[in-house]
Amino acid sequence: MTSNNILSKFYPAFREGSIILAVALFIAVVFNLIRPSGINMFGFSSAALIKEQQAIIPEISLWEAYSLYLKNKVIFIDARDPLSFEDGHINGAINIYPDEASFHASSLKVKADQGFIFITYCDGPQCPLSKETAHELILRGIPTVKILVNGWGIWLKAGYPISKGKK
Amino acid sequence: MKLRNSPRPFIPLFALICRLTLAIIFFYAGVEKIIHPQEFAVAIHNYQLLPDCVINLLAIFLPWLEVLIAASLVSGIYRRGASLLSAFLFLIFATALTINLVRGLDISCGCFGASSGNINWFYLARDLSLFCMSVFVLIYDRGWRYFFA
Repeated sequence: MTSNNILSKFYPAFREGSIILAVALFIAVVFNLIRPSGINMFGFSSAALIKEQQAIIPEISLWEAYSLYLKNKVIFIDARDPLSFEDGHINGAINIYPDEASFHASSLKVKADQGFIFITYCDGPQCPLSKETAHELILRGIPTVKILVNGWGIWLKAGYPISKGKK
Repeated sequence: MKLRNSPRPFIPLFALICRLTLAIIFFYAGVEKIIHPQEFAVAIHNYQLLPDCVINLLAIFLPWLEVLIAASLVSGIYRRGASLLSAFLFLIFATALTINLVRGLDISCGCFGASSGNINWFYLARDLSLFCMSVFVLIYDRGWRYFFA
């Protein structure tokens, strides 16, 4: 089979593929323009991303966290695994493991716009999960995220309100 | 449904199964990325193969291309073009994976949006298998008409 024969055999596939490419590009651009959470088509900045990743996340003391809790201005984010969360967690906390941050980002943005502060915690002074979840949330545009180091342990020790179960 | 009096009647049937499998994979992968374009942009950036100016555009465009390929493969409309694009995409993915596996980067695959695991040699084998399936569909698929005409 000559190269001309091969080309003529696959010509319909090339033509159809080009049409699919053009339609996909058109839909993608229009959809991105009209969706509320659309992104800037040429606005990706690796420098800004690295800066965000290296940002130091502020810590918060137990007393400050509890004051905000009493004023109902805070959302606690339990970064531990779901089983530990069900065993017991800070009253009103939501369970967001670092990998799951993207699934909660849009709902948390709405809460952030309402003036809520987010405090991540896990268990133990060396536990990395609260930091990882906080990083993931900041990367997804959630402002005012703070970390309560060894949060579960010190909250429990202080005798502050806790809940059990999935909520 | 009938299988025509062909010397190898199961080849078109196998091609149909491959076509539908590819469609499911593309649909799932595309929808996940459409929901979270920013995460997909970060995943593309992590591969360290493209300049910043094209990353967001690709993060917007590629998921819709995958969904359209899935729609074409299921419906049979422009199925040859869709299978050609499918083969091309899997070849590109496999190349990008190989480069970063050789570099030793420990990054998220980004294959199915935010919920993907980190790249490894299994993912490369999977991509190459899907590439072979795409080529098989391109050559042997006869469309729905073959079964229902």
